[in-house]
Amino acid sequence: MTEGRGYQRMKAQSSLKDILAVATEFERTARDFYADLAPKVSKQIRYLVEELAEEEQRHFDLFTQLQSRADIEEMLQEQVDTPASDGRFSDCIHLPELGDKPDDQAVLQYALGREHAAMEQYHSLAESTAPGPIHDLFKFLAAEETQHKAELEKIYYEVVHSGGV
Amino acid sequence: MSVRDLLSPFTAWKNLFREPVSIKDPFNRPASERYRGFHKNDSEKCIGCGTCEAICQNGAIDMLPADGVATQPGDSGLRPRIDYGRCCWCALCVDVCMTGSLTMSNEYKWVEADPDKFRFMPGVDKKHWDDYEDGYRRPDGHRLNAPERIDMPELAPAQRIDSFVEMVTGYTVEQAQLEADRCVTCGICVATCPTHMAIPDYIRAIRDGDYERGLKLLYDSNPFSQICGKVCTRRCETTCAASHEGDPIAIRWLKRHITEQVPHERYREIIGAPGPATGRKIAIVGAGPAGMTAAFDLARAGHQVTVYESESHAGGMTRYGIPEYRLPSDTIQREIDLIVSMGVEMHYNTRVGTDISMQQLQQDNDAVILAIGLWMGRSTRIPGSDHANVFKAVDLLRRIRDGEAIEAPKSLVVIGGGNVAMDIARSMARLQKQQHGEIAVTLTALEDKAHFLADPVEIKESIEEQIHILDSRGPQECVIGDQGGLVGLRTWKVLSIFDEQHRFAPSYDENDEQLHKGEWVIEAIGQMSDVSLLGEELTEQLEWNRGRLQVDDDGRTSESWLWAAGDCVKGPDVVTAVATGHKVAASIEAVFAQQEAQT
Amino acid sequence: MTEYSNRSQYPQARADGSLDIDLTSGKYLKLWQGPNHPGITGNMSVELTVCGDEVVEGKTHVGYLHRGFEKLMERRTFIQCFPIVCRICVPEPDFNEYCYAAAVEELAGIEVPEKADWIRTLILEMGRINSYLMYLGGQAGAFGLGVIGQWTTYARDLMLDRFEELTGARIYHMFIMPGGVRDDLPEGFDQRMEETLQEIESTLQDVYDTMFRNAVFKKRAVGLGYVDPAWVDEYGITGPVARGAGVAKDVRRDQPYLVYDRLDFEPVIATESDTYARADVRRRDLLMSVDLIRQILARMPRQGEVMATLPNVLHWKIPRGETYVRGECSRGEYGYYLVTDGSGYPRRVNVRGPSYTHAMTLLEKLIVNVNISNVAGLMVSLHTYPPEIER
Repeated sequence: MTEGRGYQRMKAQSSLKDILAVATEFERTARDFYADLAPKVSKQIRYLVEELAEEEQRHFDLFTQLQSRADIEEMLQEQVDTPASDGRFSDCIHLPELGDKPDDQAVLQYALGREHAAMEQYHSLAESTAPGPIHDLFKFLAAEETQHKAELEKIYYEVVHSGGV
Repeated sequence: MSVRDLLSPFTAWKNLFREPVSIKDPFNRPASERYRGFHKNDSEKCIGCGTCEAICQNGAIDMLPADGVATQPGDSGLRPRIDYGRCCWCALCVDVCMTGSLTMSNEYKWVEADPDKFRFMPGVDKKHWDDYEDGYRRPDGHRLNAPERIDMPELAPAQRIDSFVEMVTGYTVEQAQLEADRCVTCGICVATCPTHMAIPDYIRAIRDGDYERGLKLLYDSNPFSQICGKVCTRRCETTCAASHEGDPIAIRWLKRHITEQVPHERYREIIGAPGPATGRKIAIVGAGPAGMTAAFDLARAGHQVTVYESESHAGGMTRYGIPEYRLPSDTIQREIDLIVSMGVEMHYNTRVGTDISMQQLQQDNDAVILAIGLWMGRSTRIPGSDHANVFKAVDLLRRIRDGEAIEAPKSLVVIGGGNVAMDIARSMARLQKQQHGEIAVTLTALEDKAHFLADPVEIKESIEEQIHILDSRGPQECVIGDQGGLVGLRTWKVLSIFDEQHRFAPSYDENDEQLHKGEWVIEAIGQMSDVSLLGEELTEQLEWNRGRLQVDDDGRTSESWLWAAGDCVKGPDVVTAVATGHKVAASIEAVFAQQEAQT
Repeated sequence: MTEYSNRSQYPQARADGSLDIDLTSGKYLKLWQGPNHPGITGNMSVELTVCGDEVVEGKTHVGYLHRGFEKLMERRTFIQCFPIVCRICVPEPDFNEYCYAAAVEELAGIEVPEKADWIRTLILEMGRINSYLMYLGGQAGAFGLGVIGQWTTYARDLMLDRFEELTGARIYHMFIMPGGVRDDLPEGFDQRMEETLQEIESTLQDVYDTMFRNAVFKKRAVGLGYVDPAWVDEYGITGPVARGAGVAKDVRRDQPYLVYDRLDFEPVIATESDTYARADVRRRDLLMSVDLIRQILARMPRQGEVMATLPNVLHWKIPRGETYVRGECSRGEYGYYLVTDGSGYPRRVNVRGPSYTHAMTLLEKLIVNVNISNVAGLMVSLHTYPPEIER
């Protein structure tokens, strides 16, 4: 669903369908990235990558289910304002350059960046849609990503700021 | 005898016209505000220290487990039960109560057919006087134990700032006795101490002036007693009963005092010689507190212990991480010599994984202990943090302790609010003072002052030593100048660091941006283990738990021949490392005993 | 003075000085006075040998209240002894608290805040008033004047209210502890104390009118239990018994303690030295205490601490030493002899209560020739409390 991306980015408005497609792609690439990375990293930090992959899989499943629902077909055609954060969000679909053997801190920093972009994206979308199931969906996703980011920040603090001594 | 004497008594009749003086409703006469009636106990505030039980001269108080009260750090989980068949209402228990939880109501009437009812737990067994406002409570300033700590003599800031001479000078016998006298012997601290030192007993030994008994008690549970006497993180003091309404007992300094009072040549005799040889062999990787504690225990049990240490000296982080002014090298050396004298074979400058493989250790020994600590400093990885003048605190501290001549920059910035940050800031300040005569050290921490991870004493002393401490600053960039040199650290104001659930969730005020000038930036934010020595194969074989080696309660890894102890499993702390060292030694002993039984 | 002068029918002394009493002769009878509470004398008994209705010999027996205080204290820490000592004397417990605390403070080298000394003096005078009020009721009751006891009990109850608000207890105050006193005066205490003192003065006027100016009381009390001033030193007589004999002994003036050197008073004396004179000395001494309390409240400092800083009492050790601390209680000289050996426990505590000499040797001497019906009155006139005999 990335072929029309350059054009989409220039448009001031996008259809919900397109937005959802980008979001689904966002979650899929992330899942695949983490899934590929897991066996490469040291077993010591593999838990981290595996947990991230699971989380992204959960989101991916959510979007896939959503797209297959008949009852929102019409709504998906609606045009909404493209969020300001759209660019950053879409950029995150690109695979990061973490090298062959990223350490826990690098993985966490990358994941934090992604979560942050997603959080902003869903927040903006929630704000620019009228009340209704779609609005609720974005709100839900924004809350999800915010919580996930908070979770990751906590892990980051515990792992990196482990000292305190 | 006169007529007057016959008539005068009749004046008593005037009372016929008087109101009766007796109280009409004696059952509802409230007692005075200070009346010593039935006890009340604020069970939330009570820590079950049992000082009330100790002072009761009637033996009316028993400390017993109470429904709904859990044993936890700083709380024995016991609560006083009072037998009113014995109580004499003297309220010494209230006067001596360490938390002020025990008070008295002014209720004095209670009729009951069953005498056993008069034995109950105030505050746990609810009574109608529990919410009475009046009744005896300890008056302000009325104390039956000294609430204030005896200050530890130390060098004044001006005396200590240009040298690495130890700043704390130690208690005199008189000072130590006064401080030891403050202890109420409740023993809540014993449960808190990771290695469960017999704290009230060795403090009693100080009161009795029996330092040899004290030393024996110390080394029964902690072969790093001299070192812990100087740098222990002293969790015991955070749960000390005296800390609730006064200063906690200076447990760490009292421990230090005992080790200073016994001549060093007497130590080994007091502690005792190792047992007969068993022929079992154990290899220990890392000569820090965890490794050497395990070595001490296992060598004393008669096993043949070999320790592999990559550095030139033993002591681990106590030697290479803690500055000389807090922990002099000769103290560490004495401690190590004592442990080695139990028959431990040392291999210095030997890096496992390079000089000898883990597989080799496994082959040659009955058990292997991994005690490799947390030697790699974490980096913020902010832009510019890869500059040559951005250092990691642990690396610099090690170089300073190793005696390397370090040219201190005229100004520097430290990132971090923990003890390591304070250590490096104060060490660099000393070098600056020696080399330039001026100190210019700025310390920035993410946390606000209330959440600093460093010991408050360290913070106080750092400020005394002219360290410029800035709290709530989030590092954004190590700024590099036109000439390629470091200019300083750019930070944002941290608005909040934790959310309501006390999770890390920083928010910044980007408008409050500051540039802290410094030719160097030193990162002291955290550390990690270098587990590369395990090799890929073993790393894959082992089970891990969120980045750390997975060990069972006894410190045994998923590989039956390998145990792990110390900072690398439990995080950075000397006394915790000692505790885990004991634990793995005991686990290995148990496994050996089991093997003996099977053969 | 004595009206019982015909000695012909009484037993003769043997060569060794003991009386030649032949119980089989039918002339003599053994009669036990006590050990139930005969009047206000406490649980002790006097074994009387009577001839007709006159006592020819009396032997004091104690042991009915023995709780072994002195021995108990040897097994308790210094602070743990503090709640015990008051129990040695129920009607006037504070002297035990004061003497024990002062002895401990002296040997441990503790400086007591000045204000605590004033409050201690106040408490001791309050206790003296209570003790005298109880005595007056008992003394009158022993001669059948029951109403006096009701009045003095009322007045004492008012003072107990003051004790209750100051110390937190009515009888066993446990307020004077080593180091000072537990707490400061409560808010508005002076006012309520003044009201109590006025009520006591008024009661005492009634007591004076109905007891001291009473033909019945005079008939019974005058001449009963005459104490020769020469016996005072010989028998170790102190307090109102000595002062009733014209000997102006008063520890408060002779060896001033606490703040007595800063109060204005003169020992109250009488010369007749009989039961009536002793009762009157006590009545006037009571009024003097009322005056002393007013002086104390007017002169005491209102600022400052009331308790010294103690070492941790749980391991309080007191250096080797010995001391004797005394005070003038309502019955005479009260003293504590304390020996310490450097440990956390008293090595020896000896309680010197005035009742010992008064109820043993003196009573046995005075009781001879006394009519049985006057024995209780005589015993009360010595104002003895048995627990301090057998502490």
